[in-house]
This record gives sequence, structure tokens and C-alpha cells, in this order.
Amino acid sequence: MPEVKSQQGDVGLLEPRIIDPSLMRINADDHAVLMGGRCGDCGAISFPRTPVCASCLSEGVEACDMPQTGTLYAFSVVHQARKNWVTPYAIGYVDLPNGKRVFAHLKAPHDTLAPGMTVGLTHGVVGHDDEGRPLMTYLFTPAHHEA
Amino acid sequence: MQDVFVVGTGIIPFGKYPDKTLADLGWPAVKQAMKECGVNSTQIGAVYCGTALGGMLAGQRVMKMVGPTGMPIINIENACSSSSSALSQGWMAIASGVHDLVVVIGVEKLTKFGGGTLPLEREDWEVNQGMVMPALYAMRAQRYMHDYGLTIEQLADVAVKAHDHGASNVNAQVRKRVTRDEVMKSRMVAEPFTLWHCCPTGDGAAAVVLASPRLARQLGAAAIKVAASEVTSGKFTDGFRDMTWAELTHRGAQHAYEMAGLGAEDIDVAEIHDAFTIAELMYYEAFSFCERGRGHELLASGRTSLGGDIVVNPSGGLLSRGHPVGATGIAQAVEIVRQLRGDVGAHQVEGAKAGLSHATGGGVAGYDHGACSIHIFTR
Ligand SMILES: [Zn+2]
Repeated sequence: MPEVKSQQGDVGLLEPRIIDPSLMRINADDHAVLMGGRCGDCGAISFPRTPVCASCLSEGVEACDMPQTGTLYAFSVVHQARKNWVTPYAIGYVDLPNGKRVFAHLKAPHDTLAPGMTVGLTHGVVGHDDEGRPLMTYLFTPAHHEA
Repeated sequence: MQDVFVVGTGIIPFGKYPDKTLADLGWPAVKQAMKECGVNSTQIGAVYCGTALGGMLAGQRVMKMVGPTGMPIINIENACSSSSSALSQGWMAIASGVHDLVVVIGVEKLTKFGGGTLPLEREDWEVNQGMVMPALYAMRAQRYMHDYGLTIEQLADVAVKAHDHGASNVNAQVRKRVTRDEVMKSRMVAEPFTLWHCCPTGDGAAAVVLASPRLARQLGAAAIKVAASEVTSGKFTDGFRDMTWAELTHRGAQHAYEMAGLGAEDIDVAEIHDAFTIAELMYYEAFSFCERGRGHELLASGRTSLGGDIVVNPSGGLLSRGHPVGATGIAQAVEIVRQLRGDVGAHQVEGAKAGLSHATGGGVAGYDHGACSIHIFTR
């Protein structure tokens, strides 16, 4: 990897890093999948996946794919944050049909976002780490923005 | 169980003291509290010190400045409820008869972090994904506005009231009155919050001396009774939650009212955890000062402003007095005790007989808040 400083012009040289690979994967077709946990003993779903089931204390919690669309419960556009993030950025809580609420970055013109809207999963770069490497994560975007 | 009284109070003006140590912030508050009731350090059975980010042995560092040590010193971290949780431990120590007199300290120095929003735990997955504390409250505000039709102008009025009150409190960090327009036009932090919707960060310290009925009589100082003391934690869920309702605070309030044998209608003055404007309105509702969704009507009525019948945050609250996280709970207790004694100064609530303090917080993914501590005081 070439030597870089955390300057705007250099970051493009680096491969993006997924912020938390335990929460998501990117399939070969470039689609993001959000991953939670499913208890092998009682079936309880967790997000993020927990090492121990809070319902039955089983440690047999397996990875499971989460739904791809949900409903935006609330959001905010953050203007002041650590330098790692590209401000302003939109974040919100998305309610999934399996009963889980997921904190996520949102990708849309900020004035088009509204509580109650349907959003779908995608992925993208939201900032860069201290070494200048782009930070990639899952994102939700209004359903009509989907191709 | 025996009754517990607050016999001494101390507080330093909240603000930014980058050149002072944590111990140097703390000892003047402890000295003031000890002087107020005439206690000497050999009478102190135990010390409980609340600090969220002050590091190890904060209580020992403070107490060595003010006399003989050697008593049990317990340091307590519970985020924004650190020193109110310490107060509850101190209360329990006396109520149970283990000690006759204890000192409780709240002390925090946030300037050591160099400003900006509070350093959150990066191990938390939401923080790791970009959550910041103002955004969490901002989402509560947005959903509340969506569900109840609250306007951003009405919300700005919470900040206007806080700074009206704080302007006459000599211990407040921000002693500047603001207009609704100034609140609306200040720098954006996390939509819909501009800067004036958010409490400042800074440093502070406060202390109280708690005593048994026997010691309180012996000292002869003005004594205010601790009528209720409780600490609760949030209920974790990774599922849906109504973010417009402060479930944790409501649960704690119900318990505290029951413990004190009082209801919302008996409270004359309250110091509640207005870290951001929306919090004050949500806590009006959680404390049953008004019905759900009607917090802004209660504010607009003037009943919670100085001169009203249920004055909320006469000190200026977190928004104006300041919020050095772990110090807040005892600062609130000092405020309420002085209000009930009638010697708080220019922002006195006339004739107050019962008051409450409320510190809650701690951003951990899946919790409403991590902790909540409520105290009710009576004279
Ligand atoms: Zn299970």
C-alpha cells in the first residue's frame, strides 16, 4: 500500500475499510447484507449479533441475514462530529420488519428524509479513519432511490 | 431505617478551569459544605465521590486537601448520574444506621478533553458507526415534533427560559440571556438542534454533608430532609422504543413519589436533566407535571418559570449552569436544598417546601438511558 497522509487527494489510493465487518458483508454482486444473530436454541433475533442469547443464555447464537428494507423512525443531520466523518451527515433509526431497530447512516438529499418513510439497504463511504483510509458501511436510502 | 438530612452544601461556580486539577476543583466545595454545618473531618464516617471521567480515586484526591483521611472513600461512576448515585449510596449508609455522617462529592473536569462533544465509549457499536450524543436527543426531538406537532420555535423557548434563570445564578457557567431568534440562528449542531439547544461542556464540583437525625440535632445546622432517594437503570432492547417517552425517568419518578409519600402536585421546585431542550419537555411529562405531548404548553404557561408554582431548573439547569457530567447530580441537590432553606440567592423560589433533583444519562446502544437517579427533598 502506498504511503499516504490523511489528505483529501490521497485517500482515493487506499482500499475502503468496512467499519464493522461483524455487522455486514458485501456480496459478489456488490449488494450489502446486514447481519444479526439468531439463537439456535430459542430462535431469538439480536442485532448486533450477541455472543450469548439474552433470552435463554445459550451461546449458540448464529449469524443471520437481516431484512433489506425498513421504516425510518427518526433521523438527524449531524454538523459537528469527529474529523473522521464527512459532515454534515445524516443518521437515523430504521425499524426492520423483524422487530429490530438499526442505527444507520442515511443516503439521500437531507431535505427529502422524513420519519415514516420506507428505506432500503445499500452501502457507501461515510468518512475516513485516522490513517486516511476510507470508511465504508451499510447505509439506508429512500426506497424510490433504489435502481 | 432512620431519616437522613442534608446539613451542609457547597458548590463552585461552574465553568472552564483548564489549569486546575480535579482535586483543586473539588476541595473548595467540600470545605464550603463542612463550614456550613460546622462539622470537622474526624466526624466524617464515609465519603462517596461521583465522577464519570475524573479517573481513579477522585474522592481520595479531593479529601486529602481538607483534613484527616482514613475513612472509607468510595468512588462511583454512573455517567451523568454519577454523583446522584453517590448521593443515594450516602443516603443508604445513613438510613441503614451504618454511618451518622457522610460527605458526598460530585466533581468533573471536562476541559481536559479539549472541548467538542463528549467523548463517548468507542466500543459502543452505534458510536463506532457515527452516533454523537446531540444526535440521539435530536432524534427524540424530531420524533416528538413529528408525533405531537411541537415546533422548533416552541422548543427554542426551553433554552430561553433556562438562560433567563441562569442569568441570575452566580454559580452558572453561561450567564447570558438569549432570545428565541438567537437560539434559532445559532450554529447548527445536530438538526434540529442549534448550539443553544445543547448544554455546554465544562468543569465543576459540588458537595453535600448528610447526617442522621442525632448528628443533625447535635450540629444544629439548618437541615433539609431527604424524603426519597432512588437509582434506576434503563431497560435494554434492540427492538422498537418510543423515543418521545422517558420511560426510565417515569419509572423512577413513580418510585420516588411513592417513597416520599408525595405527588407531582406537591413539588414546588425541580432540577431536572435538561441536557438538551427536548429533554426538559419530556421530563415534565415523565414527572407527571403535565400530560404527554403537552410539555410546551406547560412551559408557555409560565408555571415552570421563576414566579410559577412548579419552577423547573431555577439554577439554569444543565443548559445554563452547565453539565460537568459527574458533578451534575450534587449540584442539583445543593440547588434544591438551598431553595428549600430559602438562601439560594437571586433565583429564589419563594416558599418552596418540596423539591426534587433528577440526573439521568449515559448513551449506551439499546438503552433509553443507562442510569437515572432521583431525589426528593422536603423541609
Ligand atoms: Zn436463546
